[in-house]
Amino acid sequence: MPERILMTGNEAMAEGAIRAGCRYYYGYPITPQNEVPEYMSRRMPEIGGTFIQSESELAAINMVLGSAATGKRAMTSSSSPGVSLKMEGISYIAGQQLPAVIANVQRGGPGLGDIGASQADYFQATKGGGHGDYRLIVLAPASVQEMADLATLAFDLADRYRNPVMILADAQIGQMMEPLVWKDYTPPADLPAKDWALTGAKGRAKNIIRSFFLYPGLLEKHNIALQEKYRLIREREVRFEETNVEDADLVIIAYGSPARVAKGLVKRGLDNAKIGLMRPITLYPFPDKRIRELALAGKDFLVVELSAGQMVEDVRLAVEGASKVGFYGRLGGAMVTIDEMAQKAKDMLKSRRASK
Amino acid sequence: MNKIPSDMDIAWCPGCGNYSILETFDKAIEQTGIDRKKLALVSGIGQAAKFPHYTKANVFNGLHGRALPAATGLKIANHELSVVITSGDGDMYGEGGNHFLHAIRRNIGVKVFVHDNQVYGLTKGQASPTSDLGFVTKVQTHGVVSVPVNPLAVAIVEDASFVARSFAGDKEHLLAMMVAALENQGGFTLLDILQPCISFNRTNTLKWYKDRVKKIDESHDPYNREAAIAMSLKWGDEIPIGIIYRSRRESFEAKTSMLAKGTLVSQYKGAAV
Ligand SMILES: Cc1ncc(C[n+]2csc(CCOP(=O)(O)OP(=O)(O)O)c2C)c(N)n1
Ligand SMILES: [Mg+2]
Repeated sequence: MPERILMTGNEAMAEGAIRAGCRYYYGYPITPQNEVPEYMSRRMPEIGGTFIQSESELAAINMVLGSAATGKRAMTSSSSPGVSLKMEGISYIAGQQLPAVIANVQRGGPGLGDIGASQADYFQATKGGGHGDYRLIVLAPASVQEMADLATLAFDLADRYRNPVMILADAQIGQMMEPLVWKDYTPPADLPAKDWALTGAKGRAKNIIRSFFLYPGLLEKHNIALQEKYRLIREREVRFEETNVEDADLVIIAYGSPARVAKGLVKRGLDNAKIGLMRPITLYPFPDKRIRELALAGKDFLVVELSAGQMVEDVRLAVEGASKVGFYGRLGGAMVTIDEMAQKAKDMLKSRRASK
Repeated sequence: MNKIPSDMDIAWCPGCGNYSILETFDKAIEQTGIDRKKLALVSGIGQAAKFPHYTKANVFNGLHGRALPAATGLKIANHELSVVITSGDGDMYGEGGNHFLHAIRRNIGVKVFVHDNQVYGLTKGQASPTSDLGFVTKVQTHGVVSVPVNPLAVAIVEDASFVARSFAGDKEHLLAMMVAALENQGGFTLLDILQPCISFNRTNTLKWYKDRVKKIDESHDPYNREAAIAMSLKWGDEIPIGIIYRSRRESFEAKTSMLAKGTLVSQYKGAAV
């Protein structure tokens, strides 16, 4: 049997990144993700990598930009207030089509907020956050195992699409300990060559990395190419997990730590009601086609988030009125409870029966 | 009856150097006769930045590293207020380091009290910009390799109005420095306060500082910039405390003709939209 190792989510993410070949980590302290820089600072010197505690989050994201421009696997992490500061750099990394990984172990906001688990940065992560028409690939781990697995996947996706990838975790997933199993990793053989990287132009034409296109028409062309890339990502990279969905009347949609509570409810059962869980693993690309399919098959949805309702907007866009979409959320670092979720689900099922 | 915990309850470790800074600050306000209704305390984030919650004043508690720009806006809008920033070494010299450089150039008349414990206290013990070379933490496991920021030397080079250092372990000296800083009318005022952090800095302890701090001799002329620079570079076996530098440069407020007619808030009274 493979060895099971007990780790915090933050440490698992850091080790997952290292196993994926990340050798450049830059970060600035902020709770609840301090275990990531702590782990990186210990491990990087052991494996010939570099760790820098930067003077600010802006410095960290731009150090990532620099290392990524040389074609190396680089990463930074922070929590909500610090991620807001990184947005400028993220927009440039997206515009320059550099592969890089950014982790946000979300805490309550807005502003300084608190250090409890939150998912109120969903809009920021999936809709832009920085300026310009760009998208991040956004991965949402719901366990310590997934913190590790998705950290590794993040680097592969970043390289494949030359695009920044965000790991959108929350304080709970980052801080908790769970056993995980390490899998052997080899980078996919079909990853494109990094012939764009700044490696010294000896014997070849020079490479230029930029997001600045002043000559009329060039910037639009560049944007059209970016959009084509995002279309491909939407076509190929949607990931989600389903539990008891096929035969459910009501499907809970949740990601990250609320998805764990929801899974608890689905497993416990709700009298004799048929409930299931759809857990998006990629938030961008969003599993909208699958949700639409389920809506057309007559299922209603209860979206559960640690926010005032952000992902629920994407669910409504997918459903387009074909069935009912309800919402249950907790705010400002508070956690959803299984009983409150059960009550919401019951209310929705009751009105469903009444309308049938 | 159980008391409901509030943000105003002090959340510093027992034995923290911040307590004597707080106690001395209240004395300094009393001694200078500053009207607390005209006192604005501005802070960013950190243990030091919690300070404004624990005394009586107008309070603006904003973003990590951004106390200076917020205080600048406040001072320009109402320059009759005494605007005092309480900040940490990480907050002021790290995240806020760029603002520090430019606020001094401007010579805006705010008082900056930095609780300098040479560590990031609130986030539990990472190296700060003023941590000494070789300082070991759970992140700087092999010791700090970057040279520490010398905030006093930087402030003198930029011709700040008032530059001083004191020590939380010497309340009498601290009181004298706070009073002098609060009474300085010239512009940007920096008081760097050495503050033992009993939880996360086991190197620069109360004893470590006590063994090293030395009051600046009365023969030192703070208006002599070269002498001040030399004084500011002293660190190690002997750490000078006292007023290191003063300049006669005009403050931002004195140079700004709009403010000669009175505070902006009074000029625009009634025109609020
Ligand atoms: C944008 C942002 N980045 C990081 C943090 C986390 N953080 C809070 S206080 C602090 C530094 C604390 O050190 P210092 O300023 O020296 O104050 P002390 O706690 O030592 O008094 C950091 C990094 C934050 N709140 N916001
Ligand atoms: Mg400090």
